[in-house]
Amino acid sequence: MNSPLDSIALFHFGPIPITAGVIATWVIMAILIIGAILVTRHMTLIPSSCQAAIELMVDTIDGQIRDTMQVSPAPYRSFIGTLFVFIFVANWSSLAPGVEPPTANLETDAALALLVFIAVISFGVRASGVRGYLATFAYPNPVMIPLNFIESLTRTFSMLVRLFGNVMSGVLVISIVLSLAGFLVPIPLMALDLLTGAVQAYIFAVLAMVFIAGAVSEDIHPAKTGNKRNSS
Amino acid sequence: MTIDWWTLGLQTVNVMLLVWLLGRFFWRPVSAMIEQRRVTAQQILTDAEGKRNQASAALAEIEQTRAGFVKEREAILAAAHEAAERAKAASIEDAASKANSLEAAAKLAIEKEKIDAEKAWADRASQLAVEIAGRLIERLDGDAVRTAFLEWLLKEIRALPEAVRHAAIGKGVTLKAVTATPLTTANQEHYRTQIGEAFGASPEISFKTDPNLIAGLELHGSHLIVSNSWRADLAKILEDVTHDSRP
Repeated sequence: MNSPLDSIALFHFGPIPITAGVIATWVIMAILIIGAILVTRHMTLIPSSCQAAIELMVDTIDGQIRDTMQVSPAPYRSFIGTLFVFIFVANWSSLAPGVEPPTANLETDAALALLVFIAVISFGVRASGVRGYLATFAYPNPVMIPLNFIESLTRTFSMLVRLFGNVMSGVLVISIVLSLAGFLVPIPLMALDLLTGAVQAYIFAVLAMVFIAGAVSEDIHPAKTGNKRNSS
Repeated sequence: MTIDWWTLGLQTVNVMLLVWLLGRFFWRPVSAMIEQRRVTAQQILTDAEGKRNQASAALAEIEQTRAGFVKEREAILAAAHEAAERAKAASIEDAASKANSLEAAAKLAIEKEKIDAEKAWADRASQLAVEIAGRLIERLDGDAVRTAFLEWLLKEIRALPEAVRHAAIGKGVTLKAVTATPLTTANQEHYRTQIGEAFGASPEISFKTDPNLIAGLELHGSHLIVSNSWRADLAKILEDVTHDSRP
């Protein structure tokens, strides 16, 4: 029996192993991109029901960014929104028979956490410059530099572990119950898994916003970020 | 548990690609549409605000115009009232003038009627006097009356200046003796003799009867008239009475 923590390569593309999680990721990417193209193809000022729902979702994400980061949502909308949508859809992809959520694989969650880590640095440097961003590690005083540096790594790792643990555990529990109790019995656990998946997507996005906001916050370097935001 | 770094890198690239593609095909168009709708709504609100301001200005202008209407109405009413007052005063003045004219005319008419009435009454009185005199004379003795009148005539002739008497009985002049009642031939001859003596000559005298004399004897010549009759006396009395009764 294979460990649920291991990713089995379905085939190799050169040196790159193509796992089920990667395939599922591609499928989800295709669905999201094609769906985005379709729903944004005929947008009008007087929206249809579908367009109104999409705009409501975008507006809600903008509101979350605005409330959490206290900044204009435009520069962060694509990254935060895509994280939330991808994780949400990936978590809920377990509804399809035979599909294992990509987020149940350690590499996918690690990739997401890595992107958040890179995004924090990127947005921080963009908002404050390299010196300004590095100065955030000395906040509130230089003694905190080692702790802040370790925190930036551990919080990224915690995101990885949190998402992976929740999703993988849900999949594992459902698999065990399904193998033991048979048909219909895992349904409550699957519903719980859907709720967990939605909550984890939200938590992951909110944590990403909080970490990015910590790097671009005006409380740490108000003058530079203020100018940057005005120019944006 | 191991991490496949190739898979990690591939998933990282996948997610980065997904972030870029969704940003290109989803987040940006949708947010642009939301922004466009917001701008459009803001523009509509701005236009609506502008139109509301225009409407407010138009309303204020209408209010001002209505206030002008009120003032104009008051001015028109005042002008009409003033014109009515002028017309009223003119009417009153005209009516007063007409009334004065009518009053003056009425006074003149009344005065004229009064004069006419007085004249009519005077005429009537004279006629009545003549009638009374006529009736009285009928009861008197005719000869005595004629003699009295003859004496009065002779007295009048004698009282005339000498030159007048001679002029009255000039050559070819025929005197006309007028009586109220016809005279007999004897009386005519007697009268002719008496009158000739009064003139101191023998003038040609013809006789004529005029009942309007009532009673009396008058002598008419070409240059002389001796009125010696009750008609003449009554006419003189009436003239005197009429003259005395006039203011």
